[in-house]
Amino acid sequence: MTSKNEKVNQENILSNDQIQINSYENDSVEAPRYSCALSGVYGTTLGIRGGVPILHSGAGCGIGQLFGTLYAGGQSAGGNEGGTSTPCSCLVEEHVIFGGEEKLRNLIQSTIEIFNGSLFVVISGCVPSLIGDDVDSIVDEFRDKASIIHVNAPGFEGNSFEGYEQFWDAIVKQLLTPKEKQPKLVNIFGIVPYNHVFWKGELLNIKNILKKIGVDANIIFTEKDGLENIKKIPSAEYNIVLSQWQGHEIAERLKNKFQIPYIKFPSVPVGAKQTSEFLRKVGEKLNISSDKIESLIEEEEDRTYRFMEYPADAVILVRPHSYFAVVADSGTAIGITKFLTNELGYLPDIIQITDNPPDKYRESIVKEIIENIETVVRPDIIFEADTYNIRENLKDRPFLFLLSSSLEAPTATEDFGALHISVSFPVYNRSILVHNYSGYDGGLQLFEDVISTFVGPL
Amino acid sequence: MSNRQTIEDNYEELFPIDLSKNTCPNREQRANGTNVYYGKASKLLDDAKNNKILCQERKFQQSGGCVLNFYLAVRVATIRDAVTIFNAPVGCSSSALGYRELFRGVPVELGRPAQYNLNWLTTNLQSDDVIYGAADKLKNTILKAEERYSPKAIFILTSCTTGIIGEDIEGTVSEIQDKINARIVPIHCEGVRSRLVQTGYDAFWHGVLKYLVKEPKEKQEDLVNVASMLSYTWQDRLEIERLLSKLGLRVNFIPEFATVEQLEKLSEAALTAPICPTYTDYLSRGLKKEYDVPFFLYPPPTGISNTDEWLRQVAKYTGKEDEVEKLINEEHKRWVPQINNIKEELKKLRVDNKKIQVLGSLGQGRLVSQLPYYDELGLESPAAMSQDFDDLLMDELEEVIDKIGDFNIMVNTFQAAEQANIIQNLDPDLTFTCPFQGGNWERDNNVTRIHSLRGDADPWSAQSGYAGAVAFGNFIVQAFKNKSYQKILSEKTEKSYKDWWYQQPDPLYYLERGE
Repeated sequence: MTSKNEKVNQENILSNDQIQINSYENDSVEAPRYSCALSGVYGTTLGIRGGVPILHSGAGCGIGQLFGTLYAGGQSAGGNEGGTSTPCSCLVEEHVIFGGEEKLRNLIQSTIEIFNGSLFVVISGCVPSLIGDDVDSIVDEFRDKASIIHVNAPGFEGNSFEGYEQFWDAIVKQLLTPKEKQPKLVNIFGIVPYNHVFWKGELLNIKNILKKIGVDANIIFTEKDGLENIKKIPSAEYNIVLSQWQGHEIAERLKNKFQIPYIKFPSVPVGAKQTSEFLRKVGEKLNISSDKIESLIEEEEDRTYRFMEYPADAVILVRPHSYFAVVADSGTAIGITKFLTNELGYLPDIIQITDNPPDKYRESIVKEIIENIETVVRPDIIFEADTYNIRENLKDRPFLFLLSSSLEAPTATEDFGALHISVSFPVYNRSILVHNYSGYDGGLQLFEDVISTFVGPL
Repeated sequence: MSNRQTIEDNYEELFPIDLSKNTCPNREQRANGTNVYYGKASKLLDDAKNNKILCQERKFQQSGGCVLNFYLAVRVATIRDAVTIFNAPVGCSSSALGYRELFRGVPVELGRPAQYNLNWLTTNLQSDDVIYGAADKLKNTILKAEERYSPKAIFILTSCTTGIIGEDIEGTVSEIQDKINARIVPIHCEGVRSRLVQTGYDAFWHGVLKYLVKEPKEKQEDLVNVASMLSYTWQDRLEIERLLSKLGLRVNFIPEFATVEQLEKLSEAALTAPICPTYTDYLSRGLKKEYDVPFFLYPPPTGISNTDEWLRQVAKYTGKEDEVEKLINEEHKRWVPQINNIKEELKKLRVDNKKIQVLGSLGQGRLVSQLPYYDELGLESPAAMSQDFDDLLMDELEEVIDKIGDFNIMVNTFQAAEQANIIQNLDPDLTFTCPFQGGNWERDNNVTRIHSLRGDADPWSAQSGYAGAVAFGNFIVQAFKNKSYQKILSEKTEKSYKDWWYQQPDPLYYLERGE
């Protein structure tokens, strides 16, 4: 048996033909499961209460991302500032010829006048980049009038997950100033609004669980006074990054600029094992008494594992030790794969990573999965953004469950003979408000979602 | 002589459809279109007649949609036996991500094919492509599409980026067309090409007419082309099929969820009939010019009397004049009593016998079709909102004004703040909202949607024909029965805009006047 601590030979991992690291997808691609950089900045801004995106772009970029990012992120419309409410310079040919700067200047001025909002985020798309507008200078004119930043995010320079990084890069460079340190305050990074479809509930769960060990988590998104949350980022004792790649750059930047160390965790912790491990790690770094941590873990695990007994008859009689497939962004794939394998006793058949992470992070994502699954089964792990290839890779395999985007939902049974659960972007077929798989209760919710696909009268 | 007649007589000269060109003219040029106006409909009509319509700049504007998004991106990707290629950075196509799920909710028993596949790719343009050009990338993407799906057609949708960097799409296509079986259809929908999203319709139809429609093998005298919008549901299709089948006619619904073959055979039909006149306009004129397929543009089949007239028009071109009167009589027996009941229900809601005021945000096509329907129900519109306006529908607007009296009209493409302002100031009894507009629906009064969506297969959501007139009437009655959702959220959440915006009287406050 492979145990969690057994060292897996690195050479084996990389030379294994079950692993396809591939490289960053910059070729043409079929229905990729992300949008562009502008979209990532846009969604991140809308995740902040009081954040007002100002698109310097063609007129379709806001409404396009309403359909392709916001609705796709668990049927979440953009609120007061999203969709067709988003201020936009709506550039057309005459601006391409004469420049869009005056239009943008008027737009920023009027947006500040009209909108109830506190943080204004000017997002430059493809058009101003191509025509050479000097957006920085125009944004500079307004810096004393409002909290405003400029993020240059042409769609051809990155995808939506990378847009999250660009947003934070701009915040650090243009907005943050040193603050007095606040003990036991941590910032949470690595959860991308809308693109990580359970973002709202995950952030709330993380905050609540950390509160129980006396740690104040600044989750930034979803809470009133988003700008205040952002401004207090430099006060944190630690940053916590819940991803093998997302948020790493911002954490490095904050370390260099404000001397904030960071704690890396490979994903949002899903279920009891990962959450207990997470709490121990955070407790150790923040010098929280291990008694406090262990007593919380004991209490939570006691409740959680009793709950996991209830569906046991259904699991054992109907679908025990089943193969499953995951098609998801790296964080979601890691958390779910480990939970289903290590807690439900399921067998990972194939894991396809869809968020197109930069090449330098790919091996660590593979290792995190391979080294932490408690089964003799070795899943195929493939980095793949192309929906045609993803579907080809799923053919003729033993899996009974497919955890992926809702793209596969209508035909998972006829195409792959699998029961389907929508867990990763895009998710159009479920409304996601607080539902999520993080923490102790989150693991139980994933358990519920999986078991509910097949239970009936026994 | 009416305006329509004048334009019809000189249309060829005024706005020739020239399929030797790569694309259509913009609506701004072809039809003096605008996306900004607020005032009396009669004045807008006068301006249109006198060529005085202005398309001015706004100092405050919101993302109402471009030529590609959302009118085309979410629609072309639903054409079967085809592949859509977005020649663009990756974000321009994300709105099409709903493609696989869209029509799956329609039960097979209602006529949806059990097996079908829809496909799209993006060239996923990168910085290097922008610098060095992306012709090879497009070529390879076309080959990839051919290899994966052997489609009958490959649609290429262009973007702001390909437009600005000057990609020669036609050059690429001509190099590769001979090497593949699929017919390649470039569609010029660069977001920056036009302020008017309706230009996207015309650009799409131009591509269809230029590359896909075939010379008719045989004329099918019982076939009627109907261009359906994404805001018309599966039930609307069934209703139109039901009615036309009673006249012995068949329907060719395009382009949503159509097959490529259905597009190829547009030339064989006896008639092109509208559901939305401005949507169908370019196609109808093109089919008439190239293949002598007759068309009419007004009215669409919305409400009882418009459905009567729509059927009569269909019958006129298909030799079914006698049958149609019989059909209308039969249908009236079934549906008119139900409409009368709805009118009675709505009457009961009146205070001091004052007509109920409704405010709707509409497309131009719906503007001229839906207002008469509200009138039929005994409802009144203090103002109408239209996404854009051009002189293609002048006569129809005049007819509406004659019939229901003058009214205010606001022209804007999803400008949520302008709409929030007039909703606040006019405070109608019922707001029909187009559901993309932030908190505009949050109010202490009645709210419902203006239209349903194509994947919705429930009879409750129908709007077209007689069945749709009754279903939508009942739907409106229901809208008056509970306002908790919008009321509680208007009380408990922050407003989008600062108070002064709602309090000042001019929705076009930020218009750049006379500059």
